[in-house]
Amino acid sequence: MKRTSLLWLAINSLALAGLAVASLMITTVARAATRPHYGGVLRLAIAGPVPSLDPADATNVSGQTAIQRIAPLLFNTLTTLDERGEAQPSLALAWKSDFSSQRWELQLRPGITFSDGTLLTANAVAASLRVANPRWNVSPQGDSVIIQSDAATPELPAELALSSNSIVLREGGKLIGSGPFTAAQWGPGKSLVLSARDDYWAGRPFVDSVEIAIGRSPRDQMLSFELGRLDGVELAAEQASGAVAGGRVVNSAPDELLAIVFSRGVQSPEEGRLRQALGLAIDRNLLNTVVLHSAGEPAGGLLPNWMTGYEFLFPRSPDSQRARQIHEGINQSSAWSLGYDQTDPAARVIAERIVLNAQDAGINIRPNPAASPDAQLVRIRLVSRDAQVALSHLALMLNLATPGSQRASSQMTSSPSTADLYAVENTFLQTQCVIPLLHLRTSVALARNVHGWSEAQDGSWNLPNVWLSPEKP
Amino acid sequence: MTFRRKLLVIFALTVFISVATVAIIVSVLARRAFEKADDERTAALVAQFQHEFNRRGEEITARVAAIAASDAATRISYAFSRGDKDYAPFLGDARTIADNQQLDFLEFVDGQGTIISSAQWPAKFGYPDASLPLSQPPQNAFLKKEDLPDGEALGLFSIRRVEAGEGHDEAYVVGGSRLDKQFISGLELPAGMRAMFYENFNRGFSPQSLIDPSGSSQDPQKIASFVQHVLEQKQESTTLIHWTSNPAEDETLHAIPLRGLDNQIAGLLLVGSSRRQYVELRQQIRSATLFAGGAGLLLAILLSGWAAARVTRPVEQLAQAAREVALGNWDTRVNVHSSGEIAELADTFNHMTHELLEQREHLVRVERIAAWKELARRLAHELKNPLFPLQLTVENLVRARQQTPEQFDEIFHESSTTLLAEIANLKAIISRFSEFSRMPQPQFHSLQINDLVRDVVKLVRAQLQGPDRAAIECTMQLADTGEIAGDPELLHRVLSNLVLNAMDAMPQAGRLTLLTHAQENSVSVEVQDTGTGLTPEECARLFTPYYTSKGHGTGLGLAIVQSIVSDHGGTVSVRSGPAQGTTFTVVLPRNLDKLREQRNENQV
Repeated sequence: MKRTSLLWLAINSLALAGLAVASLMITTVARAATRPHYGGVLRLAIAGPVPSLDPADATNVSGQTAIQRIAPLLFNTLTTLDERGEAQPSLALAWKSDFSSQRWELQLRPGITFSDGTLLTANAVAASLRVANPRWNVSPQGDSVIIQSDAATPELPAELALSSNSIVLREGGKLIGSGPFTAAQWGPGKSLVLSARDDYWAGRPFVDSVEIAIGRSPRDQMLSFELGRLDGVELAAEQASGAVAGGRVVNSAPDELLAIVFSRGVQSPEEGRLRQALGLAIDRNLLNTVVLHSAGEPAGGLLPNWMTGYEFLFPRSPDSQRARQIHEGINQSSAWSLGYDQTDPAARVIAERIVLNAQDAGINIRPNPAASPDAQLVRIRLVSRDAQVALSHLALMLNLATPGSQRASSQMTSSPSTADLYAVENTFLQTQCVIPLLHLRTSVALARNVHGWSEAQDGSWNLPNVWLSPEKP
Repeated sequence: MTFRRKLLVIFALTVFISVATVAIIVSVLARRAFEKADDERTAALVAQFQHEFNRRGEEITARVAAIAASDAATRISYAFSRGDKDYAPFLGDARTIADNQQLDFLEFVDGQGTIISSAQWPAKFGYPDASLPLSQPPQNAFLKKEDLPDGEALGLFSIRRVEAGEGHDEAYVVGGSRLDKQFISGLELPAGMRAMFYENFNRGFSPQSLIDPSGSSQDPQKIASFVQHVLEQKQESTTLIHWTSNPAEDETLHAIPLRGLDNQIAGLLLVGSSRRQYVELRQQIRSATLFAGGAGLLLAILLSGWAAARVTRPVEQLAQAAREVALGNWDTRVNVHSSGEIAELADTFNHMTHELLEQREHLVRVERIAAWKELARRLAHELKNPLFPLQLTVENLVRARQQTPEQFDEIFHESSTTLLAEIANLKAIISRFSEFSRMPQPQFHSLQINDLVRDVVKLVRAQLQGPDRAAIECTMQLADTGEIAGDPELLHRVLSNLVLNAMDAMPQAGRLTLLTHAQENSVSVEVQDTGTGLTPEECARLFTPYYTSKGHGTGLGLAIVQSIVSDHGGTVSVRSGPAQGTTFTVVLPRNLDKLREQRNENQV
C-alpha cells in the first residue's frame, strides 16, 4: 500500500471517527433536551382575580377559572376525572354507594400528609367537605368518609373532582393542602409563589417553584411573554389562532360557554317571543370566525357537543326572517340593555354585533356595560368534564333551576343517560333565561423551554409534570 | 314751601335731569359700542371656526388619502378582490390605523359600501353604510352623521378610493374626526366668548347633543326653543339668553347652521358672548352717574342754597320788615344792598313804611285834636252846668244888693250856700278829671282771678236782687286759672266797672254771667250780659274817655278799665250786637316774672 494511500486512509479514518464522536455528542445533547429536568422557576400569569386561595369560596365568581387552575396545585380532591370524564382515585382510593345513590362511602388513601406534615385523616376530609357542601351530611368512619344527601347523587364521584371540593385543612385562617406545591408567598389578588413539595405523595414536581402573576390583562401577559419575562400566559380567545412569537399555543377543548343571560325570568309571552327572536337573529358563526378568529364553536346548547353528543340538536344557525316573523306584532316597550365585561375588548365587539343582528330583526337592544342591564354577556367555564356535573353547575351559576329540571335531576339514581341530560338541558333552555352563543376554547401560550405541559380534564394546569429545559426562550 | 326751597328743588331737578340724560346717552352709546364689538368678535370667531373647520378638513383628507395609499389598504382591497370576503383578518385593522392616524372614525368599505373594517363600530363588518356618497365621492371634507353603538355623532369626514391597481375591486377609505369638545376647544376664543356645537339628529332638542367645552351651560333647556327656532328657520339667528336672574350671567347667543352633504343642517355652531362686560360697564356708568348725580345734587344744594340765599335774603328782609310793621314798628326800614327789582321793592317798602308812619302821626295828631275837642266839649259841658247857677246866684246877689238891700243878707246866705254847692260840684268835676289823669301804676301781687270775681259778685249781689230794680240772675263759670301777678285793687275796679256796666245794660232784668279761662301764659275773664247790646259804632268808641252811651256817668269808666288792663300788659275787647247782649273779655298775662322782679327789688 502506498504511503499516500495509507495517509488518505488515516485521514478518512480520523474523519469518520470525528463524525462518529460528533454525532454521539449531538445525540447526547438531544436526549438531554427531551429528558425531564428537575429545577427551575416556572413563570406564569393569569387574568382572573384571585382574592382568596380558598377553593370553596363561592363568592369569587369572576375568578372561578383562575382558582380552578391554581387550586389543584395546592390542594387535592378525593377523585379526578380522566379524559372520558370518569372519576378516578386521587385522595380516595375507592368508593361505593347504596342503591339509592344517596349514601356514599369513600376509602381514603393512607399515608397522605398535608404540606405542614399533618396526616390526612377522615376527620379532616369530612370537615373540609362540610365547608364546601353544607347540604351534605359528611361523617368520618375509620379510614373512610361517609357522604349522605337528601337526593340521589349518582354523579358524586365526579362532583368530588371539582376544585371547589378540594380537601383543605383550615387552621387559624391558614389554608393547608396536600397538593404538589405549597404557597411560599401570597399577595392576595396580585401574585403567588409556589414551592414544590419534596414529599408529595404522587412524586415531586419537576420545577422548584412556580411564580404566578395574577390579574394581568391578556395584553399585558402577551407583552411580558414576548419580552421573555413569562414562560406561560393565558390567551384571549381572539389571540388563540395567531402565531405567538417565541413560543407555541396550546388549546383546550371548547370548555367555556359564551351566552346571553337575562337578569329575570320571562314576564310575558311577548317577551318570550322576543327572546326567541333574539336567539334566532344572532349570527353565531360570524361571531366565532370574525370576532374570535374561530376560537370556539357556535353553540345551541349549554354543553358542547364533544361532551354530550347531542348539542347539534339545538338550533344555532341564524334565521333573521323567522326572527322578524316572531317579532312581528310585538310592541317592545323599551330597549333592552346588554351588559358585557368592559375589560374584554372582544366582549364589546360581540355585544355590539349582537345589537346589530337584533336590529335586523327589529329588536331594540343597546350595549350597556353599566351595572344592572336587562341581559348580560357572560363567559362561564365548565367546571367538569362530567356532563351532569357541568350542567348542574351551569344551572346553579345561571340560576336556571326549575321545578321540572330539579325533578328530572332528582329522579336519576344512577348516572344519567344522554337522553336524560338532553331533557334536562332542554328544560333549562326552555326557560329562555339564557341564549347560548359559543363554546370557546381556552388557550395558553408557552415558551419553547416549557415541556410536559398538559391540562387536566377539568381544565386545571397539570404543573407537576412540567419541566424546563436549559435553553433560553 | 318757601321760595328758597322752591329754588332748591328747581336747581336739584335741573342737575338730576341733566345727569340722568347724560347717563342714558352714555349707556345707549356704550350698548351700541358693545353690540358692535360683539358682532365683530362673533364674525371673527365664525371666520376662525370656518378656517379651523377647513384646516381640519384638509388634515383629515390628507390622512385618509395617506391611508388609502397605504399597504394596509391595498392588502384589504386585494384580499376582498379575491372574493373570499373574510372579515376576520381586518377586524381590528381600522381601529389600529385610526389610532395611528389620530382619526376618530375610519372605515374600509367595498365598492358597494359594505363595511370591511370599522374603527368606530368594529362589529359592523358586513353591513352596508348607505350614507356614503360613493358614486361621486367629494374631494373636500364634509359633515356627516355617524351611527355608533351607543348613539350618534357628528364628524368631519373625507373619502378616498384605495389605489390598488388594475383588476382590483373598488374599495374606499372613509375617515373622519368627531366634532367634539376637543375640536371646539381648539378654537382660540376671545375673553368672554365661548363656542358650542349642537349636533342635529332630528330628534328634537336634546341636552346631550350640546357640546360645550366650557361646561358652563347651567341649564341647556334654556336654549332649547332658540335651537329649535334656528333649525326650523335654517338661517343664522341671535338671541339673548338669561341663564340666571343675575344680568351679568346673560349671554348673547349667535347660531350658525352647518350643513352636510345632503344640504340638511347637520349641526349648529353656537357662539356665546357674555354680557358680563357690558353689564359691568353699565353698572359702572350707573355708579358714575349716581356719584355724579349725588355730587351734582350736593353741589346744586350748596350753590342753590347760596344763590337762593342771595336772591331771597332781601325778600326775607322785606318779609321780616313787613312782620315788624304788622307788629306796630312802623319805622322799620329795609337795607338792601342790591339792584334791580328787589332793590326797587325795598325802596318801595321803605317809602310805604315812611308814608304809613307819617299817616299814623297825622292820625295821632287828628285823634289828639279830636280828643282835645271832645275833652273841651265835655269839660265845657260839665263846667257849664255849675257855672250857670253860679252866674244866676251872683246876678241874684247883685240884683238883691241893688233892689232889696234888706233882703240881701237872707239872699246872700241862700246864695252863698248855692255858690258853695256849685263850687263843690266844680271841684268834684275837676277831681275826677284829675284822678283819670293820675291813674296809679299797678303793684303786682300774687292773686287768683277767681277770688277777685267772687269778691265782685259778692259785693254787687245785693244790688242784683234789690227791690228797686228788676232781678238779675248771676252765674259764674270759673276754671282753674292758677296764679297770676296783678294789682288786686285795680283789677277789682276793672271787674266792678264791667259788672256795673252790665247791670246798667239790663234794666229790665237779665242774666249776668262771669267766666274765667286759663291759657298757658294768660288768663281771661268774660263778663256777659243779656242786655240790649251795642251798635258797631258804639263798640268802636266805647273805650274813648268821656264817651258814654248811658244817660249818666262821666264816660271814664271803660277808659279806666282799658288803662288798668293795658298797665297789666293785657287787652280788653267787646263783642256785641243789637239785642244780642254784650260780652267784655279781659285777657291778662300771668306776669309771674314781674312778681319775681318786684320781689328782687323789694329784697334790694
